[in-house]
Amino acid sequence: MDIENKELSAAFAVFEQNRAEWFRTHANEFVVVGDGAMVGFYSDYESALKAGLQRFGAKKQFLVKQVCLEEPVFVIY
Amino acid sequence: MKDAVLKLSFTPITLQQDGPRIYVSISTAPFELKEGRAVGLDFPEPIQITALLDTGASITVINPQLAQTCKLRQTGFAELLAAGSSGRYPEHAAAISFPRYGPRGFEAIKVVACPIVRQPYSCLIGRDVMTRWALTYDGVGGHVTITE
Repeated sequence: MDIENKELSAAFAVFEQNRAEWFRTHANEFVVVGDGAMVGFYSDYESALKAGLQRFGAKKQFLVKQVCLEEPVFVIY
Repeated sequence: MKDAVLKLSFTPITLQQDGPRIYVSISTAPFELKEGRAVGLDFPEPIQITALLDTGASITVINPQLAQTCKLRQTGFAELLAAGSSGRYPEHAAAISFPRYGPRGFEAIKVVACPIVRQPYSCLIGRDVMTRWALTYDGVGGHVTITE
């Protein structure tokens, strides 16, 4: 429960640097980012999570993020 | 495939006051459990809780303590706008299933860990889960029907 998670924050920074470019070719797909690099794009969250685990194992952290042009805001009424 | 139909029954007043409740089981995704246990990581058994079916929630939310207890993997952050708790919150991967019931569960779905003000609930099942369902609310009879 760490919103200051350093590994994920670094991965998110990579995502932000590439967001616009990735959106042009992979809009709404799920990207996996870890160790400062993009691993791949996947059609759904579950597939992306599996790919991240396969690449980094269960002990390392990685980002799973849907490729949207603007950051979505989830609303709870 | 035949539709799975689940009828949740309450008294009309309970349904009106507390909202529709459903038992859910939450744990780490099964493929992560397998991977993690193979390298010596320890995970708790799935935790069963009562959740609120919340059509006002665009995404499923759990209490941060629950995410911690279940050792859910953090996979990112989410911007949440909610009464009393708005901001950036951790996003986790969770397996959610509905023991005792018909609807299929999710092997891995993202949930947001945010303190829930609507006690006694520690999980709000949002519209991301409901995308698979036809949901009928019968306030007169005190029933909620889920058809998948």
